[in-house]
Formats: sequence, C-alpha cells, structure tokens
Amino acid sequence: MIARIKKLVVTTSIVVVTVAVATPTSAGQDQRTSWGDPDLRGRWDFRSSTPFQRPERFRDKEFLTAEEVAEYEAERAQAREDRIAGVNRDEYTESQSDVDVGYNAFFIDNGVKMSGTMRTSLIVDPPDGRLPAFTESGIQRARSRYETWGKAPATPADRPTSVRCITGFNSGPPMTPGAYNNIMEVFQTEDYVAIFTEMVNDHRIIPLDNSEHLSEDMRLWKGDSRGRWDGDTLVVVTKNFNEHTAHQMTSKDMVLTEKFSRTEGGLLYEYTVDDPSSHVAPWSTALEMVQTEDLVYEYACHEGNLAMMLMLRGARLQEEAGGGQATDAQEDQWLASWYRDAAAAVREDK
Amino acid sequence: MIRSDGCCSVRYIYRVLDRFGVVMKSKPWHWMLVHVVATVLLLASGASAQPGDSSYRASRTSDGNPDLNGIWQAIGSAHWDIEPHTARMGPVVELGAVGAIPAGLGVVEGGEIPYHPEALVTRNDNRDNWLERDPAVKCYMPGIPRATYMPFPFQIVQTPSAIMFAYEYTSSTRAVRMDRPGTEADLPSWMGYGLGRWEGETLVVDVTAQMPDTWFDSSGNFHSEELVVEERYTPISPNALLYEATIEDPKVFTRPWKISMPLYRRLEEDARILEFKCIPFAEEVMFGEWYRR
Repeated sequence: MIARIKKLVVTTSIVVVTVAVATPTSAGQDQRTSWGDPDLRGRWDFRSSTPFQRPERFRDKEFLTAEEVAEYEAERAQAREDRIAGVNRDEYTESQSDVDVGYNAFFIDNGVKMSGTMRTSLIVDPPDGRLPAFTESGIQRARSRYETWGKAPATPADRPTSVRCITGFNSGPPMTPGAYNNIMEVFQTEDYVAIFTEMVNDHRIIPLDNSEHLSEDMRLWKGDSRGRWDGDTLVVVTKNFNEHTAHQMTSKDMVLTEKFSRTEGGLLYEYTVDDPSSHVAPWSTALEMVQTEDLVYEYACHEGNLAMMLMLRGARLQEEAGGGQATDAQEDQWLASWYRDAAAAVREDK
Repeated sequence: MIRSDGCCSVRYIYRVLDRFGVVMKSKPWHWMLVHVVATVLLLASGASAQPGDSSYRASRTSDGNPDLNGIWQAIGSAHWDIEPHTARMGPVVELGAVGAIPAGLGVVEGGEIPYHPEALVTRNDNRDNWLERDPAVKCYMPGIPRATYMPFPFQIVQTPSAIMFAYEYTSSTRAVRMDRPGTEADLPSWMGYGLGRWEGETLVVDVTAQMPDTWFDSSGNFHSEELVVEERYTPISPNALLYEATIEDPKVFTRPWKISMPLYRRLEEDARILEFKCIPFAEEVMFGEWYRR
C-alpha cells in the first residue's frame, strides 16, 4: 500500500512537473534579451511523435500520464526498430510505404519523443483533437489535389510544392513535425524575429514594427508575416498565401496565427488556422519545441532533385508502354502512401 | 586592423603556424593565439589602414558590435560579369534590348582573374555554353560570394552568436556562426560553412566547404571544391558597407585574388525581403524534355 502511494506520489509529481514544463513561463532574466524581450534565439528541435490528430485509442482522453507517455514512446521506438529489421515487411511493400519516394526507416527522423504538452494530439482545438470537417469547397479542393497527385504528372506543377522543393512539407508556415529536418534556428533583434528552417533552407523574416500587411494582391508561397509581443508571447499573424498553399488543404485565404512562448525547458509553439473556405471551424495545435545544440544543415532540395526528372521520365515511359496512356494500376502508384487514407476519405465524402 | 591579404592575414599566420604543427583547429584558444600573433605582427609592421578603414564608426548593437542589421543590395553588373566588360547582346533574340547585358568596370582587383591556363580554357568554354551551364539558370543557390551581388536584396539579422544572411534570390539562407571558431564543416554545402569574427569595425567571415558547382557570375567564372573565401563587411557610412572578398583556389587560380564593391542599404520605408522562389521559373528549362505535350 505504502509502495503504491509512493508510486502515485512520484507519478503525480512527474505529471505536475512535466505539465509545468510545457506551460509558458514569465520569462526569467536568463530567458530575456539584453533589451528585455523574451529570448527566442537558438536552435529548436520540433520532432514529435505526438499524433497530429487524436487516434481512436485515445478517444476522450486529452492528456497522458507520464507512464502512458513512456509506454507510447517505447512503442514508437520498437516500431522503428521493427521497421529497420524488416518485421512485417509485407505490410510495407504491399502499401509501398517503405519505398515511396525512396524513403525507408533510415531517412525517417520524426522522433520517438512525445511533445512536452503530454497531449494525445497536436490538435488542441476542437477539443476532440480532430480536424474540423471540410466545407464543400474544402472537399472539392482536397479531392482535386489528391486526384492530381494520384496521376502521372504531365509537368512538375502536378506534384506537391514540397516535391518541387519550393516549400517544405514541415516548415510551413506553420511548422509541423514531419518525416525529417524538424529543426529551426531563431534570430532575434529588437525589430525582427527571423526563422531559418532546415527544410528547403528557407527563411521567414517577421517584422515587429506594427506595419501593415502587404496589399491583398501580393500573394506569397510562405505568406506575409507580422509579429508583436503580447506580454511574454510572440504573436505572429500570417496571411496573403498563394493558391498553392496546401497546409491541411487550406486555401490562399488561410489566416495563420502563431504564438511562441518560452517554457522552462523549451519553446511552446501554438498555432491557429482560420480558413472558412476549407474547414467549418478554426482549429489550433500546440507543441513544445526543445532547444538543441545540433546545427541547422543546408537542405539543398532543388539542387539535388533528381527525383523530379525521374518521375517525369517514368511517367512518359509508362505512357509510351501503354500506347499513350498509363494504366489505372500504374496511375494508382502515383499517390504517396501517406496521402491514401485522407484521399479515400474525401472521395467517399461525395 | 588586420589586413585581409599579405603578410599579416589571420589565415596566412594560421597556415604558417599550422605548417609547424603549432595550432589545432579544434582548440579555440589556438585560434585566439593566431589572432594575437596576427595583431602583433601587424602592429610591428606598421601597416597602413586599408580602404575599409575610413574613420566611420558604425552604431552598435546592444551587445556592443558594429550594427550590420538591415536590407542591403549591390548595384552594378557584377552578377553578369565580375571582370571589366562592355555591353553585349544577350542570348535570347526575342528579348531584344531588355535582354542585353549591361557594361561594367568589373569588381576584380587588377581587372583580371588569375586563372591557370587550362582553367581559363574551361572558363571560356563555360562562357560559350552559358545557358546550359550557369547554375543560376537552374535556380541553384548561388554560393559565396555570388549571392552577395545577385541583383536582389539580402537581409542581415545579427545576434552575438550567429548572424543570419537571408537572400531574396531563391530564398537561400545561411547562418554565419560567431561561436564556433576553428571548427570545420561536417558537410560541403552550396552556401558554404561561414565562421565569423569581428576585427574592429569589420565582420570577417571565412567561408569553406562550398560545393564546386557554383559560379562567380553569368560569364562562366568558376572555381573548384578547394575554394576558400574570406569575406569582409565594413560599414563606411550609415547606409553603405564595403564588401571585400578574397578568393583562394589553388586548383583554378595562380594566386589569391580579391573583389570589392559597396553594398547599399535599401532605404525604402517599407523595404523588405520578398520571395524570388525561382524553381517554377526554371522547371521547364530543366525538365521540359520530359513534359507531356
């Protein structure tokens, strides 16, 4: 009994401590710049095994205990080991998920640690941890994009922008943990906060000068960001995305609000996506980034993008072999395995 | 002030000491020693100030270093050709006069790049096959020094431990590290491994481990993987920096050579780095033969 109580006390205190870690702190002196703003500078690791949407197994459960986190992380680590060792290889070969775009476990670096938020999903709002439903135009957009990506490309414009190396699949904005390159470096002056993401070696320079956003017809791949301090939280509003913006199938009308706050051990990164033309309600996520001494390496994506040439050549060869057109079976191979569930969902949604 | 070339440059001193096995790159205090020796030698030699040493003293950041923050841009035609050149017709007939290449006095000290004879043949060959070979046609990251004088602005965001260089051209980015003296790059890269330090008013950046694929301009001037660049950024007025770059590549050039030019502050009140994401502009020229027509 005493042992059980002891265990309970220990567990509870771990939970309290860990939850406290992911709570914005009033930045102490050592977390402030010489001019007094909270200090966001440094390199931040945003790998996380916390699922983007809450999986069925955690239904009605917003937070995990420290023990459950440990269990989940161990599971993830084991799954990674299994994949490397080729356990259940048939499953991957059948779904192609181990060969899609040439990735196998070696290249995947999305981390086994859950976010310090100890939540069961990155999505914190809606409270069920799931993306809100698509609007009618959201479904149309998603369906049309998956259809394009699911066919042999006529030109590079038929592949996702990340495959063309124009934007990164995880560098946003907003930053969302992805398969690899989940690291950014923040530079900060009194006038600017600048984010250097490893993914596609890109930058975002955020003025803190209360200036107006660019006029509405100035549409950018990464949108147009403006930041301001709200107490100890940096709030960044980004809009003016172009029509290729595809973060969770949002449109160019997406308004993104990001919040950066120092926590005791890291950087709490929260964002809200508001795009009435894609989802029936705004939605928000939270993730705790971890300070790292790792360097941001140069990801020369386009410079090494042999895949684009090979995809286009492959597509033309398929057509040639099929007398001018790829067969349905061949066409089916063009949608990467990680899009397949989502693509099926919007197809059924007709 | 330590000169960037001649007897007392930090790299020269380093090499001499390194030859005798006196210094190790992994030891920061060895690196410091090199600087001390360089300074002493320089003072002893009574060297006069170099062009960057105007009496101008830049305003300071809160950590006390010269403030280089801002949006900067080179003006001129160095991105076309860093050597002196008269105006010439461009290769695309349809573009007519708007596609012609403007004249320039060049930015190379002494006018000519000191190529080895066989390297000069390659340069001329590159020039004859410009559109097929120029990495900028493909929207590849331009490398250092070319990124500095592409006809696009770049922004410096300065912190004590690292300085961000964010270039509008293809959104290329590099972090010049101020906190890792004496270290070496883990990997080669298109924008190089930049280690910075302050020498009085000047930010000096040693750039190593660059990919051999970048060029210096659109006239075929090239280098190998042995390229080492020492960049110097010296404020000469509130709205201008003197940019100097000493280029060494024994495989391609007979001796180190230097380029220099002013960089001007973009003074528009709403100046900012926009996007020149040029991949979509280069895709057809790169992959067009495999498009479905």
